[in-house]
Amino acid sequence: MQDVLNAAQLGSVYLLFALGMALAWGTIGILNFAHGATFMFSAFVAHLVSQAFALPLPLALLISVLTGALISVATQVFAFQPIIHRSRNITTAETRILIGGIGVASIPLAIAQRMTHSAPFGINTTYQDVVWDLGLFRLSSTSLIVLIAGIGLGLGIIFWLRRSKQGLALRAIGVDSETAAGMGINQFFLSIGTMAVAGGLAGLAGALLTIQLRAIAPETGDQLIIKAFAIIVLGGLGSMTGAFIGSFILATVETLVLKANLGSWVDAVSFGLIFIVLLLRPQGILGRKEVRRT
Amino acid sequence: MKNQKIGRIVAAALTIGTMALVTACGGGSSTSSASTAAGGGAIAQEIKLGAVHDLTGPVAYAGVGAKNGAEIAIQEINDSAFLGQGVKVSIDEVDSAFEIERATSEMTKMMGNKDIVAIIGPAASQQAAAVAPLVERQKVPTVFTQAGSSGVVIGDYTFRGTAPMETYYHRAAEWMKAQGLTDTVIVYNAQFPTFAQLADTHFPPLAQQNGITISNKIAVQTNTQDFTGPAQQIAQANPKAVNVLLNAAQSVTFLNQLRQAGYTGQAVATSVQGAGNIAPAGDAAKGLVYPTDFSYAQTDPKAVAFAKAYQAKFNKLPDNYAAEGYDSIWWIARGIKASGDSSRQGIQKGLKQVAGEGFEGAMGKLTFEGNDMRVPGVMIKWDGTAETLAP
Repeated sequence: MQDVLNAAQLGSVYLLFALGMALAWGTIGILNFAHGATFMFSAFVAHLVSQAFALPLPLALLISVLTGALISVATQVFAFQPIIHRSRNITTAETRILIGGIGVASIPLAIAQRMTHSAPFGINTTYQDVVWDLGLFRLSSTSLIVLIAGIGLGLGIIFWLRRSKQGLALRAIGVDSETAAGMGINQFFLSIGTMAVAGGLAGLAGALLTIQLRAIAPETGDQLIIKAFAIIVLGGLGSMTGAFIGSFILATVETLVLKANLGSWVDAVSFGLIFIVLLLRPQGILGRKEVRRT
Repeated sequence: MKNQKIGRIVAAALTIGTMALVTACGGGSSTSSASTAAGGGAIAQEIKLGAVHDLTGPVAYAGVGAKNGAEIAIQEINDSAFLGQGVKVSIDEVDSAFEIERATSEMTKMMGNKDIVAIIGPAASQQAAAVAPLVERQKVPTVFTQAGSSGVVIGDYTFRGTAPMETYYHRAAEWMKAQGLTDTVIVYNAQFPTFAQLADTHFPPLAQQNGITISNKIAVQTNTQDFTGPAQQIAQANPKAVNVLLNAAQSVTFLNQLRQAGYTGQAVATSVQGAGNIAPAGDAAKGLVYPTDFSYAQTDPKAVAFAKAYQAKFNKLPDNYAAEGYDSIWWIARGIKASGDSSRQGIQKGLKQVAGEGFEGAMGKLTFEGNDMRVPGVMIKWDGTAETLAP
């Protein structure tokens, strides 16, 4: 029972981080490698504010969400949009956006490293973690919040994308942006809105994880980016449900490997399994099959 | 015609004579460049050192600490006229930013600058190991701080001013024995060479010598961020102690999750948790102990004096990285004094001579194995806000 809970908790951590990246990539086609830096720097801003006074939890989360949204919107407006306009085709744009994201990520990383000398930082908050011993398992209040936030937001976004008009419009952009534009969908504003939401999710993940882990280092975001990328590919590009499932699959595999005392093999086993799944099912668990018109 | 010929001969003779005179004067009068470049057997009035520190990047806390400690040492050396009246030591510092290419390039530039007579090398092992062969080829005495892996101290011109962790980790084993902590679990970052070697090679025989049983070894990776599973495993097993061999951010999370899992035993960490790096763990880190090469809690006079000077200059207490930078510069200064020669060769000889004798530094009675520093080490207890000496 405890192992199931541990896997669920870890899966929620990964899901919270990957949600924003999956949303942007799966809908407007932006593979944002600055997502990790956005996650980290949002928490860092909350850390800086909390040095002046201890923040109530909702305020810490709000600061982080707003910072994340701002960074992502700025990245979209000043980096990704210009790249898209200047690129001849989508493939060229995607490659340049990938490189551009890595370049953008280095700026908040350098600032945080400079100011902290790469020492770990936390958020000074009035929130006190409570641990419940329920016999079969132990659960902390922070883990519960992360679980609820991860699963709740994941399901909420899946539902919104499927049922709402804006969700439909976003999915249309993800399938064929030109046709979507021709049908009257305002791609620019939807892109900005999507990046704002993605950045806000990164900020929320940043604050929650920093509080749960007690501290993160400036490099923490970069370490999670590869896992998020793997989750999205495993789950299937364009499928939020796939990303949801992928997060928990990866977390379960990692939990089992750690439990077997093979901690130094976690990445090898996890990514090895992903590789095998992709060999058998290249589009991922719930991804769209590629259709090539002859 | 004949007069022209004589004139040309005289002109040529005068030219040759002038060149010879200028060369002789230049060799004798400019003491700094001559004695530093050619090993003239004198201490120059201006002695320039170089430093390639990681001032930014993931190990910036080590680079900045070493830089600050070096500054204190240079100030003391100059103010006390340790190397003679009017002799001034200065240091040119550059940031390698945790990049091997930048470290190599900056070290090469420094070694090409004949005014720089000795260098404080980068703290990261990968960079240090990359530049060590260059140092040996160029014959520029270089003292590395941190950089604990093999492949760094490889010859006559490479020196290390940080004792490898395994050389003083016996303090932890002895302390555990004295406290009756006879069984332990090791949690370690298997991708960090120092920790992997400590867990696999160095600590097991120390544990055996001190009657400690290692009931389990749990390996994790550098990107492991959640330790709920290992923490619960340990809480269930409930050993008397846990040896924590993790990096700074990981150990903060691990200690919290360990206490959340209900474990109340003793955690024993490493000097990586020093320098206040464990502070974000809050109450979960209260009572944590670790062996280190230096702490401001030390009571010997040199350590106290260094801590006082550091606090006066930087308005904060020094960490072990600062002490390493401080003692490394003093090692170079003592080397110059011992050999009486501030040239590169003179410093190299002097460093070896001082290493043969040892000296009293901020880190205590310093001895050496070859070119590698050894320290007594000290056990520290973190009380939640500050370091104290462990009982």
